[in-house]
Amino acid sequence: MNYKTLNTNKLPEFFEKIKKTGKTVLAPRKKGNKTFFATFDSFDQINFDYVQTALSPKSVLFPRVEELFTYKNDDGTYSVKEPELKNEVVVFGMRPCDGVALDYLCDFFLNENPDKLLQDRKNNTTFISLACKSFDNDCFCTSVGSSPAETLGSDLCFTDMGNGSYYVEVVTDKGQKLVDAFPDLFADTKEINKVEQLAQVPVRFELKNLVPKIPTVFETNIWLDQSLACIGCGACAYVCPTCSCFDVQDECNPKAGTRLRCWDSCAFGQFTLHASGHNPREVQSNRWRNRVMHKFNYSVQNMNTISCVGCGRCIRVCPAGMSIIEHLISVEEA
Amino acid sequence: MQELHNKIKSILENGSASLFIAYQKSREGKITPTFITKPEQSQKAYFGDDCKQNLAVYIHKQEVKNFGKVGIFANIYTLKSLLQIYAENQIRDDYLKVVTINPNGAIVEFANFMEIENYVNENKPAPNPEDMERVEKLSNLSREERWDYWLNELSTCIKCYACRAACPMCYCTKCTVDCNQPQWISTPSHSLGNIEWHIMRAMHLAGRCVECNECARVCPMDIPLNLLTVKLNDTANIEFGQQAGLKGELDYALSTFKVDDKENFIR
Repeated sequence: MNYKTLNTNKLPEFFEKIKKTGKTVLAPRKKGNKTFFATFDSFDQINFDYVQTALSPKSVLFPRVEELFTYKNDDGTYSVKEPELKNEVVVFGMRPCDGVALDYLCDFFLNENPDKLLQDRKNNTTFISLACKSFDNDCFCTSVGSSPAETLGSDLCFTDMGNGSYYVEVVTDKGQKLVDAFPDLFADTKEINKVEQLAQVPVRFELKNLVPKIPTVFETNIWLDQSLACIGCGACAYVCPTCSCFDVQDECNPKAGTRLRCWDSCAFGQFTLHASGHNPREVQSNRWRNRVMHKFNYSVQNMNTISCVGCGRCIRVCPAGMSIIEHLISVEEA
Repeated sequence: MQELHNKIKSILENGSASLFIAYQKSREGKITPTFITKPEQSQKAYFGDDCKQNLAVYIHKQEVKNFGKVGIFANIYTLKSLLQIYAENQIRDDYLKVVTINPNGAIVEFANFMEIENYVNENKPAPNPEDMERVEKLSNLSREERWDYWLNELSTCIKCYACRAACPMCYCTKCTVDCNQPQWISTPSHSLGNIEWHIMRAMHLAGRCVECNECARVCPMDIPLNLLTVKLNDTANIEFGQQAGLKGELDYALSTFKVDDKENFIR
């Protein structure tokens, strides 16, 4: 890995120069009390005072609704057109946990049957994480095998060293390319111990105890106890950086049509509802169990990793105040 | 708080409910609903100004219904919701045991919905001045400006349906957006799908919304959805003299037919 420094007061220039090359820059911006990734006109629109963005950067690779293809019927002559994704994007300010999530998401979409759209989007996007100086009660990255020092899944990782400069870890070739494009902004440096600068997120549960324990409570009442409060919305899944379920929708008439891929959530009553009317996950507690089992058991079986990165978004967004930390601790104690 | 705990305990002990829904402070310090089934757990219940969620939403939940008779701790908006749901024939009088804390801090247990009706009319919550101001501001815009405002706000909707799930008045077992044969509303969360969804939802709540503002509170995208139904309530009130959640008997403009209706098209 290469290491660089960037003066913090050069950040506006960095963004301006990236924009001049025709790339779109997304950075954290405030809307109400929440922070979202968005484009910006001037540097002062960027919000640096946030623990976590409300939505994860997953939508950059896996938008909430995207066109898979369009087709046309010109009097019996059919033509199909797939979208061409050319727009190059730089995402600034995601947290290191989001990098871990993107790594998982790419593994999910690109490993067995590579998804061309996601691959194109990935190729076109450079992800810059900004290591955490603060955390809140809902952060638990250190409980799920990650930490604010993590660089996996980021192309570049920035750490504010508190001395007017960012310490920049160049994680991937894509990151290297972006840094190389602006040699006057970045200076070489050696590997620095950055941990002192970072948030010290407490460990809330022991993952190595939890993962083997979860399947043993499959048939217990623990899921009902945990999920009576669940109102069955899809907010947790939609803010989750690793949730990857989608629904395919055709919008068409005899002349033309579009096939769309849309986010879906296992919390919805229609999720896995069979055409016969039978639903293997009939009630909310079954759906809630599926969510937890997927994150901490099924993905371990299928992809050799848990699929929760401890970003805490599902906790912050839950209308009923449900906390996955609390639920995992209750499994641990069961 | 002790009085509340005692009340819940006695309700569970005397069998007038086998499940009591209240607020608690969770281990993580969150205000969450708690579902008390044993009298000795009654001290879990908590109440304070930070208890915002409208607990009436849970009486529609199958897994809650499975417990049989239910007791519920209700703030003023939950009371209004329960009354409106009762007026719409969605609960029986003997199914629920409803408890509240009155403005003097005393525990009130309602014997029936008639008592709830009297109570909510005596303790009508004042409209939120901030919301009124925002509604007023939007009403003063031109039609085009208003359309642009909502197009802009609603285009950010991610269709998680938290607004629907949190709303006690959204109790349909099959929502219009879940109908796919035929599909009435475009499912994807593109601008058209979002606008169709929110117009449909607002229209279904016109004059039925109890203004608990849960839809806006729970929205992950911070869309002020409550302004739509607040405005429609206002219109229903002006046009038909109706206010939701204040009457135990159904008198609902959008599902009522009167031969002496002032409009000609309906005859």
